[in-house]
Amino acid sequence: MFLALKEMARAKTRFGLLIAAVGMLVFLILFQQSLQNGLLTSFVGAIRNQSAPVLVYTVDGQRVIQGSVIPAGLEQQVGANTDVGRIGRIGLGTFTAETGDGERFDTTVLGYQTPDLGAPTELIAGRFPSAPGEAIGSDADASQGFGLDAVVTIQPGGYELVIVGLARDVQLNAGPTLFANYDDYVDAVRSVNPDALDPLPNILAVAPAEGVADTELVDSINAISQDLDALTRTEAADQTPGVSQVRQSFQVIFLLYGLVIPCVTGLFFLIITFQKSGALTLLHAIGAPVRRLVTSLLIQAVIIIAAGFLIGLAVYAPVSQRRLGGIPLRFETNAVIFWAILLMILGTGSSLISAKRVLAIDPIEATTGGANQ
Amino acid sequence: MTNSALHMSNVRKVYRMADTEVVALDHAELTVASDEIVALVGPSGSGKTTLCSIAGGILSTTEGSVTVGDEEITAYSDKQLTVFRQNQVGFVFQSVNLVPFLTARENLLVVDELGRREGKPARQRADRLLEELGLTDRSKNLPSQLSGGQKQRVAIGRALMNEPKLVLFDEPTSALDTELGSQVMELIRSEMKSRGTAAIVVTHDERITAYCDRTVHIIDGVLAA
Repeated sequence: MFLALKEMARAKTRFGLLIAAVGMLVFLILFQQSLQNGLLTSFVGAIRNQSAPVLVYTVDGQRVIQGSVIPAGLEQQVGANTDVGRIGRIGLGTFTAETGDGERFDTTVLGYQTPDLGAPTELIAGRFPSAPGEAIGSDADASQGFGLDAVVTIQPGGYELVIVGLARDVQLNAGPTLFANYDDYVDAVRSVNPDALDPLPNILAVAPAEGVADTELVDSINAISQDLDALTRTEAADQTPGVSQVRQSFQVIFLLYGLVIPCVTGLFFLIITFQKSGALTLLHAIGAPVRRLVTSLLIQAVIIIAAGFLIGLAVYAPVSQRRLGGIPLRFETNAVIFWAILLMILGTGSSLISAKRVLAIDPIEATTGGANQ
Repeated sequence: MTNSALHMSNVRKVYRMADTEVVALDHAELTVASDEIVALVGPSGSGKTTLCSIAGGILSTTEGSVTVGDEEITAYSDKQLTVFRQNQVGFVFQSVNLVPFLTARENLLVVDELGRREGKPARQRADRLLEELGLTDRSKNLPSQLSGGQKQRVAIGRALMNEPKLVLFDEPTSALDTELGSQVMELIRSEMKSRGTAAIVVTHDERITAYCDRTVHIIDGVLAA
């Protein structure tokens, strides 16, 4: 500890710059982790955080709710399946919606038949709709005029929805999203296009019969018809087109960051081990066990990673409370813990290359001057 | 308790390089009394540093036995030799002598940190040594802020920090001018004598021998009194 701290105290700039570099990388990692999660949640949060355990698309829909349309025949076939406990329709439309202050937004309205088959799983404010013309909004949109008690008007028809409840992480396609009763959804469609026939449901929300697992229900429904594509809630969210590509892109970025930090730390220690090889040889020659010298090196690595992580965290914490465009960011506690452990392991692990060099020190070099070469 | 600080008996050191053997030290016999200062004089490559390194537990012998104080170190493992160097001997090397990121005082205290960890008594001993060596006002200076003579004095202080039985000086004045070299040698003599500590001073400069009690010559690995 004595040697490790004294050296750091005497080379503040050198060690400070490394700590700052690690801090910057940590901030970028954590920020991008929040960005990834925020991006995916704003794309498919409405699917992940709705109450139906199984969603049934048509194959033609390619796992996009808007692209899927369930004909009456298929709906009846699914309803007749003995593994199905309960079934409800879900309709989705994207409308121009005007908020109270006159601003207009492309807004997704998801209509569900029963709250436990398609409504958000829980509310953070207000209540579930209990009368026609009521809807649940996303807390991410509240600041844009979609807050509690706000009146949203679907244009050009002028159909009004009052937001009576707010749920967290229930956006779809990174835009304002409302959950309403199926009849309200149908009325919204008709208000925009009075000549339209009753819209067919886009997907079906299904719960398994007693004793049937969600995955068994998925298999059972998919066996009914080649036109049906049943998915569990998690699968439906994860397999929405674009989600896996976004995730893979971020994983490549995280992998690069995960490599950069140990490389930076490892190279730094390798360079300073070369630079101070004379001092290390001298210390070993006068009786310092190499174990003590290696410990000193590892203490420095731990301090650098820990200090860098704290700096990165200090910058990340306030930034994670903001919005980036329409994407709400969030402080990702699990990611913080995961990266803290991983970077500590990688950072100290990379300094083991230098430790190996320290272990190879021959004290005789102190007498020959070889340590200075 | 023996009266000698060092006893080397029939010591050989052979380096094997490919198919050839190089005898660096050939059947060396040397005894240094507990308060004696011995000058080890010889040309370059004669085996001076090898002998010193064996006496200090930096190198092990090929044959023969080495006893420092009461400690027979011939069969010591690397680990045991490290502990031995920590506690029983002091070194002043020719080229690398101070840890550059430690102050003069810390260069002395590091000996305690690596070994006994006495704390306050060690700090008091370091301050006393610095005072004796005329370095009190330089105690907070880094080696880069010290002159050549001051660096060598700090190295002497460090070599005495663990209160060794034997101090090994490898060409202690080679980097200093004649006047400074004389001052350092006077200091070495007074410090050794005041403590009753034995020393071997490796040199190829015959003038240094005037500060020592006895001179031992070495040529081609063979000692000649």
